[in-house]
Amino acid sequence: MSLKPKEVNFDVTWKKLSITIKNVLQMDPVRHDVWTECFSDVYSLCVAFPESLAEKLYDEVKQLLSDHVANLYNQVSAAGEESILIIYHTHWMQFNKGAKYLDSLFSYLNVQHIQKQRFSEADQKYGHITMDINEQHMEIGELAFEIWKEEFIKLLKERLVLVLLSCIKADRLNKGLVAPVHIVKGVILSFVEVCNFKKKNTYVLYESVFEELLLQQTAEFYRGESIALLQELTPSQYMTRVIARKEEEKMRCAKFLPPSCHVKLEKKVHVELVEKHMTMLHGECGKLVAGERVEDLANMYVLLKPIKDALKPLVSCIQEHIKQQGLQAVHQLSGENMATQFVENLLAVHAKYSGLVAEMFNRDHQFQEALHRAFESVVNSKMSRNFPKSPEIIAKYCDTLLKKSTKGLSEGEVDDKLTHCITIFKYVEDKDVFQKFYSRHLAKRLIHQQSVSMDLEESMINKLKSACGYEFTSKLHRMFTDMTLSESQNQKFSEFLKDNKLSLDTNFAINILQAGAWPLGTTSLGFSMALPLELEKPLQYFEKFYHSSFNGRKLTWLHHLSQGELKCCFTSRTYIITMVSYHVVIMLLFQKTDSMKLSELTEATKFTSDGFSRFLQPLLDSKLLVTDSKELTDDSVISLNLKYSNKRFKFRIAMAQVKEQQQQEVAAAHSSVEEDRKMYLQAAIVRIMKTRKLARHTDLVQEVISQSKGRFAPQVPMIKKCIELLLDKQYIERSNSNHDEYKYVA
Amino acid sequence: MKVKIKKWTGVGTWSYKVDYDNCGICRQPFHGCCPYCKWPGETCPVVWGQCTHCFHIHCMAKWLKAQEPREQCPLCRQKWRYA
Repeated sequence: MSLKPKEVNFDVTWKKLSITIKNVLQMDPVRHDVWTECFSDVYSLCVAFPESLAEKLYDEVKQLLSDHVANLYNQVSAAGEESILIIYHTHWMQFNKGAKYLDSLFSYLNVQHIQKQRFSEADQKYGHITMDINEQHMEIGELAFEIWKEEFIKLLKERLVLVLLSCIKADRLNKGLVAPVHIVKGVILSFVEVCNFKKKNTYVLYESVFEELLLQQTAEFYRGESIALLQELTPSQYMTRVIARKEEEKMRCAKFLPPSCHVKLEKKVHVELVEKHMTMLHGECGKLVAGERVEDLANMYVLLKPIKDALKPLVSCIQEHIKQQGLQAVHQLSGENMATQFVENLLAVHAKYSGLVAEMFNRDHQFQEALHRAFESVVNSKMSRNFPKSPEIIAKYCDTLLKKSTKGLSEGEVDDKLTHCITIFKYVEDKDVFQKFYSRHLAKRLIHQQSVSMDLEESMINKLKSACGYEFTSKLHRMFTDMTLSESQNQKFSEFLKDNKLSLDTNFAINILQAGAWPLGTTSLGFSMALPLELEKPLQYFEKFYHSSFNGRKLTWLHHLSQGELKCCFTSRTYIITMVSYHVVIMLLFQKTDSMKLSELTEATKFTSDGFSRFLQPLLDSKLLVTDSKELTDDSVISLNLKYSNKRFKFRIAMAQVKEQQQQEVAAAHSSVEEDRKMYLQAAIVRIMKTRKLARHTDLVQEVISQSKGRFAPQVPMIKKCIELLLDKQYIERSNSNHDEYKYVA
Repeated sequence: MKVKIKKWTGVGTWSYKVDYDNCGICRQPFHGCCPYCKWPGETCPVVWGQCTHCFHIHCMAKWLKAQEPREQCPLCRQKWRYA
C-alpha cells in the first residue's frame, strides 16, 4: 500500500468504514485485518486527491454517532424505573469503550485536521476569537462523548437522577437498592467520565446535574433525622449516634461518589447534624466537664473539632474546671508537711488532667494550653494573707526533699520527685522569689552539711537551669564553687599546720564564702561573742594561713552559722552532739564547774546580743542544762544535767529559730527580691534603650514586660519608677520633640 | 574533761581589704565585678599598687595599656608598680 495521495471514492470507503464503526460501538467482534484496514481507509480519505475528504468524513461520523446515540436513548427511555439504571449502565459502558476505540481509529484525522484548526488555550484566553468556540470541530472521542452528553444525558437526566437519589436514600435507610452498588456508582461516574476529554472543568456536568440535588437531598434527610433523634435520645446518646452516622456516610461516599464530592457531602452532613445544634451541644459542655464524662467529652471533641471556633466554650469549661480542681487541692493546707502536700496534690491534679487531655482530646494544643493557663492561675493565685506564696512553698518542698532526714527515699526517688516538681515550678510567675528562697535553703544545707547528696543538689540545679536559663542558677553555682574551694583550702591549711609544726586538738574545718555571693541573713548583725581558747587558737592559725595565701583579703567570721560536734562525758553514757557554735561556747563554760549563775554566763561569753536567754533556751529544752527557777533572771542558777539520758547517742540540737526571726527572714527575702527586681528592670530598660535609641513609653513598657516574663511579672508602676530613676541618673532623657518618647543618652 | 570539741566547722566570708568601696576606674564596687566580667569573685580580683591605690585587675590592665609607655596610677600619677 502506498501512502501517496490518490483519488478515493468516498461513498464506497465510507460504507466499509461505517460497518466497522457500528460494530465497534456495539462491541461486536471485528476481524483483525478489517480493523487494521480501517486505519488506512481513514488515512486515504484524509489525504484524498484532488481534495481532502476529511471534512466530509467528520460530518458523516458525527451523523452516525448521533443516530447511534438516539437509538440507544430510545431503548433506555423506554425502560421502567427499576431497570433504567441497569440498561443505561450497560449501554454506557459499551459506548464508553467503543468511543475510545474510535478515537484511536481516527487518530490521523484528530492530529492532522482537527487539532490544527483548533484554537490553543492562549488564543482562547488572549486572542480575539471571532468564531464561536462551539462551532469548532472536536476530536472524535470527544465528539462521541459530547453527543452522548447533549443528546442522551441532558434529555434523560431528570429520570436518572431521581432514581439515583432514591437509591442513595434507600441505602441510608438500609433498604435494598433497585440496582447493584457498582451500577449505581457507574452511572454516577458516567457524568464525570463523559467530560474526561475536556482539559478542565471535568466536574461541571456532574455538579450541575447530580451533586447539587444530592447535597440538597442529604441536607433534608439529615435535618429530619437529627430532629427525630434529638427527641428520643439524650445528648450523649445523640453524639454517639451522630459519630456512627458520619462514619457510615463516609463509607457511603466511597461506595457511590467520585472523590471530589466526599468533602462536600461530609461537610453537609456535619452542618445538619452538629453545627445546627451547636447551642445544645455547648449547653451540654458544663455538665459533661463537671461530671468528667470522658467518653462523652471525647465525642464532643470529635464533633466540634471541624467547626471553626466551636471548641472555645468547651476549652474554657475545661480550663475553669481544672482551675477549680487545682484550687481545691491546695485549699486549706496547713501543718508541718504543708509544702509537700501542696506540691504533691497539685502534681496529682496535673497528672490526672494531662492524662485526660491526651485521652479525650488527642493532645489538642488548645486543650493543652487550657491546662497550662488553668495551672498558671492556680499556682499564682493569691491565697489568704497569712498563707505563704507558691514560690516559697515550692522552694520549701525542694528543701525538705534535699535535706537529710529519715524519710528513707532513695536518691532516684528524690530525683524523680524533683523532676516532677519542676512541672509545677514552670507555672510560677515570680520565679525570682523562688530563687531567693531556694538559695537561702541551699545555703543552709551547704553550710550545715545537711544535703542528702551533692549529686542530687547538682542535678536539681541543672533542672532549674534548663527551665530558666543560665543566669537564673549562676548564683547557686557560685555557692557550689565556694564549697569546693573551701575544701581545697582546708587541705592546704592542714599542710600549712604540718609545715609549721603546729597542732590542733580538734578536727577543724572552715568554709570560706565569698561575701555577696551568699544569701546570708542580716539577722546576724549586732551579735558577737567571746570564743573560748579551744576555738580561738585554730581560728588565729587559719587567719594567718589565709592572709599568707591571699593578700588583700579580710575575713569575717560568721559564728552564728558555724557549728561543732561535742563529746559529752559528764553523763553515764558518752553522747556526741552537733550544735551551733554559741551552744558550744555555753557548754564549754561548764568544763570546770557544774552550775553557774545566768549573770556569770553572760559575763563569760560576752554575748553582745540582748536576749541571751534565747540562745540558752534550746539547751534547756533539750535537758542538757537545767535551771532551778521557772523564769530566767540574772540570778537563776544553770547547771549541767548529770543524769541526762537519750536513746540516741548521736544527735543534733536545733538552732533557736524564733518565730518572729523566721518571719523577719521571710520579709528580708521578699524585700531583697524587690531590690533585685528594680535592678533587673533598670538593666532591662537600659538594654532596650541602648539598642533602640528612641522608644515610646508604651513600647518600652511592653518590651520590658516581655523581657522579664521568664523571671517575674513586673508591675507597671514599678517600671515607671525605674524609668524615672534612670531619667534622674541621666541614662535616658525625654525626647525634645515628643513628650511621650525617651532617648538613650550614650 | 567533761566536754570536748570533737569537730568544728567554722564559717566565714572574705572580702577585699579596701579603704574605699568603688574602683577608681570603672566606679563599680569592688565586691562586684569590672564591666568586662559577668560574675564577681575569683575571676575578677582586685589589684594593689605600691601607692596603696587599688582597682579591678582588668580595669588596671586596660588603663596601663592605654598609658604606655609611661605607666601611672590614675589617682596619684605616681609610677605604677604592683604591690
